[in-house]
Amino acid sequence: MREVRMGRAVFLGVVGAGVAGLFAGGRLSRAASPLGSAVPGAFRSLFPDGWRIYSVNPPWPEFHPASYRLEVTGAVERPLSLSWDEVMALPQTAQTTDFHCVTGWTVGGVQWQGVRLQTLWDMARPTAEARYANFVSMEHPYLDTLTFRQTTLPQVMLAHAMDGKPLSQAHGAPMRLVIPEMYGYKNVKWLTRIELVPRLQTGYWEQRGYDVDAWVGRSNGY
Amino acid sequence: MPGLDAPTATEPPAGYVHRFGAAERSLHWLLAASFLTMLATGLILYLPSLAQVAADRGLWKSIHLGAAIAFWAGLVLVWASSPGELRDTRRQLERFDEDDRRWLSWAVHRSGPEPPQGRFNAGQKLNTAVIAGLMVVFTISGVLMYLQETDASFRGTDAILVHDIAMYIAVPLVLGHLYLALLNPSTRHSLRGMAVGTVRRDWARRHHPKWERDL
Repeated sequence: MREVRMGRAVFLGVVGAGVAGLFAGGRLSRAASPLGSAVPGAFRSLFPDGWRIYSVNPPWPEFHPASYRLEVTGAVERPLSLSWDEVMALPQTAQTTDFHCVTGWTVGGVQWQGVRLQTLWDMARPTAEARYANFVSMEHPYLDTLTFRQTTLPQVMLAHAMDGKPLSQAHGAPMRLVIPEMYGYKNVKWLTRIELVPRLQTGYWEQRGYDVDAWVGRSNGY
Repeated sequence: MPGLDAPTATEPPAGYVHRFGAAERSLHWLLAASFLTMLATGLILYLPSLAQVAADRGLWKSIHLGAAIAFWAGLVLVWASSPGELRDTRRQLERFDEDDRRWLSWAVHRSGPEPPQGRFNAGQKLNTAVIAGLMVVFTISGVLMYLQETDASFRGTDAILVHDIAMYIAVPLVLGHLYLALLNPSTRHSLRGMAVGTVRRDWARRHHPKWERDL
């Protein structure tokens, strides 16, 4: 009886498809993402929503509304230390943007609600020395930086709500930096302090070889 | 036909025939243990709902990588210990004859009698080929994910997406395999072959007649 080495062909086909996917998978999945919205919601909810939860020093920091402070310090005329009620009383803004992780996953159409950094700058009045902003997490020793100009890009905000719900602990409650133009590691979670400084400090992942300017698609080897 | 039955160390009990040799069984259980370890630790790293109970990613990542290394090291060891046995197994697994191709069509349409099968049926052959391919894909994409963490020149590939898709293909295959091996009444006797090496002759005749008649 005629035998064919179909098993070998299937094996090599699977390996070949996997290797091809390494180079074209992202483009294919982005091209196919409109199809994803045609999938019934009940079926889609069986799968994870696309987020991976990273932290560098577990357990995750806890948010206590009574004791939480959002501080703005350093090169400012008027340092701020806002209670949670005061943060929530600030002028609010909302946006829907995509979130890209440097490791290759993306969550599309995330609805953020929160505060523009210009609102804080109007109150604290940064001095000419304020060339960089350090975003300090309650998760020690996580810190990341932006240039002062980057802090007022149109889609940069401090978000306290995601997809219509208060920011969960996993996503950095009560507040995280959102800068959709840059990879996730710049989007500091569990934010508690912003220091305006004259010189660039090296952020947590930047100390581990990641780019300072983490532009999506134009940094970190992409 | 030469090489169609697995090497036998001892005579099987009356009414039983040898189905799997020591190397085949070692390799199977090595894969089973390392796959399930990697699946469990991988899901902890992957699912947001599990991220909090297991926030120490470093630990789970180490176990995940350790299981992968153990799998490949074990594979080399088992292969080196009995290359002949496993070469015969591979030849039986990768070759499909007319009955195998008819069996695949029968498995889909479920009409008419089951085309007679050899030591492995076509579904087992296909499953092995796909899983073997996926293990290579998991390894290549996993190594890239590991390197990406420390070296920017490895970023820019879609390793994480490929690793995810491989998981979405492998898990249903493994669940189907577990169903046939543990639950499905007519097939679950095969588990005995993988556990102790022997199966009932009448079971072998019914499911693998072309193999049984040559024993």
